[in-house]
Amino acid sequence: MKRQSWDNPSDTSLTRVDGAAKVSGGATYSAEYAIPELVHAVLVTSTIAKGSITAIEAHEAEAAPGVLAVISHLNVMTVPGWPAKKQPAERAQVGTALRVFYDPLIYFDGQPVAMVVAGTHEQAVHAASLVCVTYRKESHQTDFEKNAGKAAVPLNVQRSGNSPFKDYERGDAAALRQAEVKIEAEYIIPTQHHQPLEPHAIIAVWEADDKLTVYDKNQGVKSVQGQLAQAFKLPRENVQVVARYVGGAFGSGIRVWPHTLAAVIAAKQVKRPVKLVLGRDQMFTSVGYRPYTVQKIGLGASADGRLTGIVHEGTGQTSMYEEHLERTVLASRALYACPSVLTRYRLLPLDVNTPTWMRGPGDATGMFALESAMDELAFALKMDPLDFRLKNYAESDPERNLPWSAKSLRECYELGAEKFGWKNRMQAPRSVRQNGMLVGYGMASSLYGFHRHPSKARAVMQADGSVVVQSATMDIGPGTGTAMTRIAAKVLGLNAKKIRFELGHSALPDAPGQNGSSTIPSVGSAVHDACEALKNRLAALAGDMEARFRSGGQAVVRNGQLFASEGDKDGLSYADILKHHHLNELEVTGESKQGAERDQYSMYSFGCHFVEVQVGELTGEVRVTRVVTCADVGTIINYKTARSQSIGGVVGGIGMALMEESVMDHRFGRYVTSDFASYHIPVHADVPPIEVYYIDKPDMLADPIGSKGLGEIAIVGVAGAIANAVFNATGKRIRHLPITPDKLI
Amino acid sequence: MDIDAIPPDAENEDRRFFLKQSMLIAGLSMAPADLLHAALVPDDGPVGNAVKVKVSLTVNGKRKRVTIDPRMTLLDLLREHLGLTGTKKGCDFGQCGACTVHIDGRRALSCLTFALMQHGAKITTIEGLSDGEKLHPLQEAFIKHDGLQCGYCTPGQVMSAVACIREGCAGSAPEVREYMSGNLCRCGAYPNIVDAILEVKKEGLKV
Amino acid sequence: MKPFQYLRPKTVQEAISMATDNPGAQYIAGGTNLVDLMKRGIASPPKLIDINHLPLKKIEHRYDRLRIGALALNSDVARHKGVVARQPLLAQALLAGASGQLRNMATVGGNLLQRTRCSYFYDLALPCNKRQPGSGCGAEGGVNRTHAIFFAGNGFGGYEASSCIAVHPSDMCVALTALETNVVVNGPEGERRVMMKDFHRLSTQQPELDTYLRPGELLTAIEVVDNAFAKHSHYLKVRDRASYAFALVSVAAALQMDGGRIWDARMALGGVAHKPWRYWAIDLMLRGQAPSEKLFQEVAEHEMQSAEATAQNAFKIKLTTNAMVAALKTAAGIS
Repeated sequence: MKRQSWDNPSDTSLTRVDGAAKVSGGATYSAEYAIPELVHAVLVTSTIAKGSITAIEAHEAEAAPGVLAVISHLNVMTVPGWPAKKQPAERAQVGTALRVFYDPLIYFDGQPVAMVVAGTHEQAVHAASLVCVTYRKESHQTDFEKNAGKAAVPLNVQRSGNSPFKDYERGDAAALRQAEVKIEAEYIIPTQHHQPLEPHAIIAVWEADDKLTVYDKNQGVKSVQGQLAQAFKLPRENVQVVARYVGGAFGSGIRVWPHTLAAVIAAKQVKRPVKLVLGRDQMFTSVGYRPYTVQKIGLGASADGRLTGIVHEGTGQTSMYEEHLERTVLASRALYACPSVLTRYRLLPLDVNTPTWMRGPGDATGMFALESAMDELAFALKMDPLDFRLKNYAESDPERNLPWSAKSLRECYELGAEKFGWKNRMQAPRSVRQNGMLVGYGMASSLYGFHRHPSKARAVMQADGSVVVQSATMDIGPGTGTAMTRIAAKVLGLNAKKIRFELGHSALPDAPGQNGSSTIPSVGSAVHDACEALKNRLAALAGDMEARFRSGGQAVVRNGQLFASEGDKDGLSYADILKHHHLNELEVTGESKQGAERDQYSMYSFGCHFVEVQVGELTGEVRVTRVVTCADVGTIINYKTARSQSIGGVVGGIGMALMEESVMDHRFGRYVTSDFASYHIPVHADVPPIEVYYIDKPDMLADPIGSKGLGEIAIVGVAGAIANAVFNATGKRIRHLPITPDKLI
Repeated sequence: MDIDAIPPDAENEDRRFFLKQSMLIAGLSMAPADLLHAALVPDDGPVGNAVKVKVSLTVNGKRKRVTIDPRMTLLDLLREHLGLTGTKKGCDFGQCGACTVHIDGRRALSCLTFALMQHGAKITTIEGLSDGEKLHPLQEAFIKHDGLQCGYCTPGQVMSAVACIREGCAGSAPEVREYMSGNLCRCGAYPNIVDAILEVKKEGLKV
Repeated sequence: MKPFQYLRPKTVQEAISMATDNPGAQYIAGGTNLVDLMKRGIASPPKLIDINHLPLKKIEHRYDRLRIGALALNSDVARHKGVVARQPLLAQALLAGASGQLRNMATVGGNLLQRTRCSYFYDLALPCNKRQPGSGCGAEGGVNRTHAIFFAGNGFGGYEASSCIAVHPSDMCVALTALETNVVVNGPEGERRVMMKDFHRLSTQQPELDTYLRPGELLTAIEVVDNAFAKHSHYLKVRDRASYAFALVSVAAALQMDGGRIWDARMALGGVAHKPWRYWAIDLMLRGQAPSEKLFQEVAEHEMQSAEATAQNAFKIKLTTNAMVAALKTAAGIS
């Protein structure tokens, strides 16, 4: 396919369209809207992991200065969309999202049990400390390892005939046993939390009895709109959801969590706009997390390094009331050419809140294990880990027996290896010392499935030829507005300064939430199509003005002007076209969705990471000192913001590999790492220079802009590459993340 | 709540308390107008009780007189009362740096100080960094190097970066990384932030 | 947070009177720890005495010692020329702690009085003898990866089952302990000097108390007597991330060397006990010896004989040993 770079070198990139607002404090996040009559809410959360509330003593809190209400299951309004309560209360069926303040039952420690609403934040916080909740405790189970035997095939899979999570087998089940060289090992990823810097927050405003506006931190305004409309039995258009700026989310905002409903309920009950901001500690239990996952991998190969068998089993934790499934074992079916593959996926329900998708969900977890195992087998084979991967390169999708829509992983390997200097790697561990530190190199592959959802965009040309493009998509950080502006600018031949992209409001045209790296393929395609349609409308209008534009389909755009053909020297400006037709504006809406290609081709993003680490031999401290990351994600729409996203993924991977671990005291079923002092995420000093490279070849089978999305692939594999580098440095194979000093000394 | 918005009764009661305190400070030789002025700008610290205190401080060059709950942090004063939401609440416990402002010219965490303790202090927030429409060189550099993604930690990073250069701790990439480590960024914009700081430092621009 | 009344004294005597007259009142300086504790409901003083306006910020060298006012900011101390030249170990330790912003707020006195960062102490829903005497030590049978490995001993009565296994979080205090600093304290009964070794408590009794300060007493200064360690001292901090994290283990090592031999040695350890842990015997063991890795290894292992691991922190015994060796090598210039 023809190399068609949009945007390399980087100096043609757009700078972030909302950069000035963000660096000057002018960007307004959910908790920051100045709403008249606003009051403040604070959640009270359970201190037991299982049981039921026997009493809530709220008199003192209610009498405290400024308090408007203490809301709990004892006095909560009836939420019209929820089923009538049972007496006595019964535990929810699996598959029931937690209904806040619904009944006295406790499903996990940290569950919201009451909410104090008061005139000021200080008053609400103080009154919340006065609410006294008593419980009848039941014995709880939160310890994964102690309960591992209870893991089972998810009900979801049992009930569904064609779930991707059902047991999978191809080739010869005995292949692994008979392999000439093999390794078998267990890999553990602890619970890890998204912890975006902006805590989840909402301002709920009932504009009228049947009209609700929420300023809510989330990753999909349309989905929140739908769920709130359903819960409160309102017409969809009576609910508006605003999230113009979202201070990071990484998956924590994909679902509507109980606290969102709590704030809406409170606003209804106190008849005032209510603001609720989760405390950092509440961010560990009020929203989801990357689940504790144990994986067993067996890899077998012939003595010359051809994979003969893969067995990959994964078990993730979930809650007692919902099943959270993710792609943990799926990459093992598709990444390498291997005739025999067996995967199994199980869930272990515990008395915890429900996990959720976190950047690279499933794949980041699974690929840590698979890519560690590949490194282990390469070492056993005495092969270079990159050569080993190249030897087992899958030229087509071995799982679905389909051609790839596009795959340039080989080019990624080559480019990354060259830029990193992989050839200097020593095969034997502990071979290199520098400044008293052990130095190691590691690498890993990356892949992530392609996701594209139906999406709409509206393009409105103004009388002056500028354009407003709108879609109810989101920007949790990647720079959606910037990328969409770039697409519109390219299609319309317009200076980006003349384009304004609007997002983050449920009144805008339908778009999926921002997740699964689907925004560029879904919304980008819609923006592309809307702008193409706008261009065609302009050409048709120009045809009414001048004959040369009547040839049909030949029109070319440049500098805000329409030309009849490529060689045409005289253009018609957009403003003149609108003026001629006495139009104040010209509006089109485009809708875009996947065609039949999805069934004919296998679509993935690919990539690889090369990492250098230094390890203190005496202290066991690991420092990542250099990273080269390379991705094949089709067209790079805007290099500058794409590069940042790739860097961010690597930083997330550094956290995942080296420090992030949510630790629970299982006697209480309660996290003891519930702040940023005990749940470590990377700081500046943990992050070295990170080099980013893209293959930048469009995949036109995927979508009309040839781009496949970048958010997830940036992190998938990073933890494996780091663990492999640590092995190369120290000779120690760490299979249980995070790789902290205690594991290396 | 601005001082002018206090309900009349509370105001009178406060003023009596206020004046009594002021007289102790100022002695009785002052004219009534001076007394009133002293009452509004006590040198001695904020005046009030456990429910409400009057605090005077300078924010981005403007004198602010507010009547607040003593429990209110400087961060909440800025965000909830003065409408300066550019300073962010990330953790509220001094563990993330999102709330970084300059107090009397030095970077500090506004979540870990009570607003009343800053009576008489000069506070600069992200909103006060730019010169009108003209962005501060570090703000420009953050945009140029894309030293931000979601933008939530950004005001704190910028305020910290300005201080980092002023403190003379921006001599090299490792030094910048160490001295900026009090500002967490979950999106992982770190390398671009470091590039932005080093460039401003190298160009010798006034920060 | 409970409502509180705010007092702002102008003199040390006024501050002490306020504290004496108002039982339960607490001094507040930088606020970096106390505001945190008040927000969480762990501290709820009815009155706050804001001492920031007392004249206790001065850093000066007088006669044979460096005197640092209790209200000197951590950042000012760390970059003070006299401190950097005479007591680089102290500057290093200060810069290893917290962040630029926090060091601009936190005072020397506040740093001495900061409370443990044990998760059980910080969570009102969990048991903690330090926060609520008699409720039990949550960490002892729970999550104790970062907890203490030294409990008592060194001639003070041997090991005793501990009622609190939390560690002291300060970096600065580890250096001050190695440097045999005096803490100057003023109170209702006048001024007194307390040696660092006698300032903090071990936790065998009354774990709710961190220090031996008496009611109403106010820290006014610290004094570091001149020494000959400046050329051969090193503060090593091992932590779970590269910066802005409390120590798993830290080592303040100070050597006086001449002619290739060690003539005086001091060491204190952080992150291992309820107070900065002084390695008393190190001077005897190193005096007159030529530095070598083997020697340092022996010396480190010797002290660790009295260490005792809890269920999750056995690694700390090896880590502390290694950290001592690494710090001594750097201090001696043989790494």
